[in-house]
Amino acid sequence: MSEAAPSQDFLAEEVRRYHHFITLALWLAAITGAEIVLIFLPIPPMAVLTVLSLMSAGKFFAVILWFMHLIYDKKLLFWLFLTGLLLAFATFAAMIALFGVERIDTKWFA
Amino acid sequence: MSQAADAHDAPTSTGIDHKKLIMWLFLASDCMFFGTLISTHLLYRKLYPTGFTDAEGHQHFIQNLFNIELTSFSTFILLMSSFLMALAVSAMHKGEIKSFRRNVLGVIFFGLIFLGCQVFEFTHFYHQGLTIQNSVLGSTFYVLTGTHGTHVAIGVLWLVLLYFYSFTGKLGGHMGALDVEVAGLYWHFVDIVWIIIFTAVYLVEYLGPSGIWGSGLPAITK
Amino acid sequence: MSHDTHHAPVASKLDLAPERSDLGLIRPDRTTGWRDWLTTVDHKKIGVLYGAFAMMYFLIGGVEALAIRTQLIRPDNDFVTARMYNQLFTMHGTTMIFLGVMPLSAAFFNFLVPLQIGARDVAFPRLNAFSLWTFVFGAFVLNASWLFEFGHLAGWFNSFDWHKALVYTDFAPANGWFSYAPLSGTFGQADASLQAPRFTGVGTDFWIIGIQVLGIASLAASFNFICTIINMRAKGMTMMRLPVFTWMTLVTSFLIILAFPAITVALIELMFDRQFGANFFNPSAGGQPVLWQHLFWIFGHPEVYILVLPAMGIVSEILPTFSGKALFGYPIIVFSGAVIGFLGFAVWSHHMFTTGLGPVPTAAFALLTMAIAVPTGVKIFNWLGTLWGGRIRFTPPMVLALGFIWMFMCGGFSGVMHSSAPADSQQQDSYFVIAHFHYVLLGGVLLGLMAGLYFWFPKIFGRMPNATVAYLASGLVILGFNMAFGPMHYLGLAGMPRRTHTYHAGNGWESWNYVATIGAYILGAGVFLAFMNLVWTAFKGKKCASDPWGGRTMEWSLPSPVPEYNFAQSPIIAARDAYFEDKHGGRRIGFENDGGNAGVHMPSQSWMPLLAGAGFLFIGLGMPMMSMHVPHAGWLVITGLTVLFVGIWLWALEGPGGYMLKTPVAPSSSGQPAPAATTSAH
Repeated sequence: MSEAAPSQDFLAEEVRRYHHFITLALWLAAITGAEIVLIFLPIPPMAVLTVLSLMSAGKFFAVILWFMHLIYDKKLLFWLFLTGLLLAFATFAAMIALFGVERIDTKWFA
Repeated sequence: MSQAADAHDAPTSTGIDHKKLIMWLFLASDCMFFGTLISTHLLYRKLYPTGFTDAEGHQHFIQNLFNIELTSFSTFILLMSSFLMALAVSAMHKGEIKSFRRNVLGVIFFGLIFLGCQVFEFTHFYHQGLTIQNSVLGSTFYVLTGTHGTHVAIGVLWLVLLYFYSFTGKLGGHMGALDVEVAGLYWHFVDIVWIIIFTAVYLVEYLGPSGIWGSGLPAITK
Repeated sequence: MSHDTHHAPVASKLDLAPERSDLGLIRPDRTTGWRDWLTTVDHKKIGVLYGAFAMMYFLIGGVEALAIRTQLIRPDNDFVTARMYNQLFTMHGTTMIFLGVMPLSAAFFNFLVPLQIGARDVAFPRLNAFSLWTFVFGAFVLNASWLFEFGHLAGWFNSFDWHKALVYTDFAPANGWFSYAPLSGTFGQADASLQAPRFTGVGTDFWIIGIQVLGIASLAASFNFICTIINMRAKGMTMMRLPVFTWMTLVTSFLIILAFPAITVALIELMFDRQFGANFFNPSAGGQPVLWQHLFWIFGHPEVYILVLPAMGIVSEILPTFSGKALFGYPIIVFSGAVIGFLGFAVWSHHMFTTGLGPVPTAAFALLTMAIAVPTGVKIFNWLGTLWGGRIRFTPPMVLALGFIWMFMCGGFSGVMHSSAPADSQQQDSYFVIAHFHYVLLGGVLLGLMAGLYFWFPKIFGRMPNATVAYLASGLVILGFNMAFGPMHYLGLAGMPRRTHTYHAGNGWESWNYVATIGAYILGAGVFLAFMNLVWTAFKGKKCASDPWGGRTMEWSLPSPVPEYNFAQSPIIAARDAYFEDKHGGRRIGFENDGGNAGVHMPSQSWMPLLAGAGFLFIGLGMPMMSMHVPHAGWLVITGLTVLFVGIWLWALEGPGGYMLKTPVAPSSSGQPAPAATTSAH
């Protein structure tokens, strides 16, 4: 089947995306570097954990929005994916919370 | 690589290609899949935060086992492969098949490096005494990271097949770009799962054995 | 491109010139008979195959149920051994849920959804065929365990050198349909072959791999249906004009894709425990068996709604048709269906009140469980509102649909009783629970599905089932069902535990067990009669018109049986209940005008989905045989993986193909025949 030659607007858009991708790749590398430094700093663990979670979530959403084109695509795709993501997060956060050492009967341990 | 007969003739109700929609649905479903695996690992970390005991009865803390330089390196490699994948998709949209091939070869190469690092890591841990049989930690760690590795391997296989398929001349136009984009979505997803694993499984262990979860129970010798 | 042949539309696929796929193989487009059925990608034929297999497994599961009831007809009975009894109730539950109800729902999804939304087919026709064959092979693997069990009972395997720990319990699955760890798992230390001692035999391995394969089939089908419903609606078919059955298919499919991954991972973990000595659920290594319960019910509770929502959708189509009224409160019905689906993920722990979750989680899950009764009640009231003031016709589907409402309500009432945690701890694992979920699944789901079968059979085959036999069968089913399961409420509250092989005289359970067993036989006779009536109808039934019931949705606008291309011209929908509006209202169905008879684009048939699905047969038989230490069984698994991979690979490479089919000129307002569908290769 014959494809029309890509229009100028389309190419300009691709070039713009190309620059976004490069910027994002640099950011991802930088954040990862910061994460590694962060865990060795003498800061209270809970503070580190909070920052790590935010950084990780930031990287996660950056990749799905730009590399995976969600920011360019129809919004429906974003909401579909977010449904699965939030459901997984909520369900398994609840499940982990339901487990606690006080509910473990250690007499079965070998 | 086309699969839906109807995919490229009738316009869809939403304007989204069938293949892209079904891949996003699959990824939403895969969130639950990896959510289950990661939460299995985390809840056992919560119960037994100290690590594991090897065959000689030595207690090991998991962070002494980890090699953060290696893991950071493979994380970096995977992030960069995602970058190259985005470029490969972009190249296909512009109809630049040569640029696509170059970039996708890079993705495959980086994917293989990641898998190599994982093989090295598994071997190293095994020699340190962590096995799938001797502790809950071994079971959850190997199955979680191994399942992720299997996803990476499937992605590499997919991209290798696409790479060779591109030489038949049939990978082109809108449908060709779509096929590559869908493979790309899968690859990026594998990457973001690793972003989570890197933080939740590796980095948090450096906050100390009871830094996150509290004291917990001692590790169990089987 | 090698697709020039496509551009000449043909009157029948048999007129096609032999056409080669991109691989150079002849496409099976012109096949007839059994080869046509094996390679079909037509959603209607796939639906019929799903239905046929589902009805067969319903009968097999029913025979298992009757064996259970026969064993319990009197105290201290020895009709079957305790070991066989365990296998019977496990396989009964597994068969009815995964091989009976789910595929029968899938049969309706397949046949109806593209017709109701005005589409040519599903979004991915070959993926649809793959789902079907994967289900068929997964179902076979699960039931192949019976062949091993019978071989074992006949002494065929005595000469083998069995691993001692493997054979002392079972070959067919025997740990209940939810296979709780640690019973299904391992204990102690793994040996040199990496297998730890376990409580149950290879039946559990058959169960693990069987459910895994069936899960893949359900997942693939659900991705396909969501895609179809979101993306392939005819012009004018907005989401709020979708027939309720299609809406419930959409919600069910979302439940499947979001709930099945939990069981997939749980099965992988259990498989690692059993095959490779891992410790996910092994208590001797600190594994928590209760984790299995969590993961199972994170899947299992949405699964309950996966079973019941399609039946609710069917009933929501039947009631308006035979009341002569539009469905009362359509938006609320749709909304409550979605709310049920959403809340279904937040109540899993109510199956686990007696495990000791702690007071706060128990209270939270109890409240959420009570909350889920609200949207369910809303649906019931909407159905009653539909009946109210209607001109009701008591046809066989209507009788069954009314039975659904009544029986499902009874199941709902006992369900609300379980949501109270203190009451539940009294009822847990008693016959009261058995009574509850059979009222929901049999009185609810089975009656709903049977109503659907009697409602749409004239559309599927163009033949009308015998009404007298249908009334008789419906009466037997409803009578037998209440006789069988009504007494179980009493038995449960009187202390009879579920899954007991037998009971002693003097507990006060004898007479009600006797009544229940007689009821089960009547129920069995009713279901058998109903199914035989349908089978007879399919081949010999009296021919009927295309719209015998005065239908409301788009499928009734088509001839019966539906032509393979569905709609000669793509319809343009003007209203909810589009066909009813077309007949009796002012808003006519329009047709897309393409300006010429280009024909309808048909997807090519293919062997590849069957080939890929066959890989699961080898994997499914190989994994349990590895557990049995059958020499070289691992190669069977590797063969299966290879077949699966090669099947998918060739499927990708053969290209979608397709051909154009001439259609009769439809007598429509637009006056132009056949929608355009330009064929293009890639």
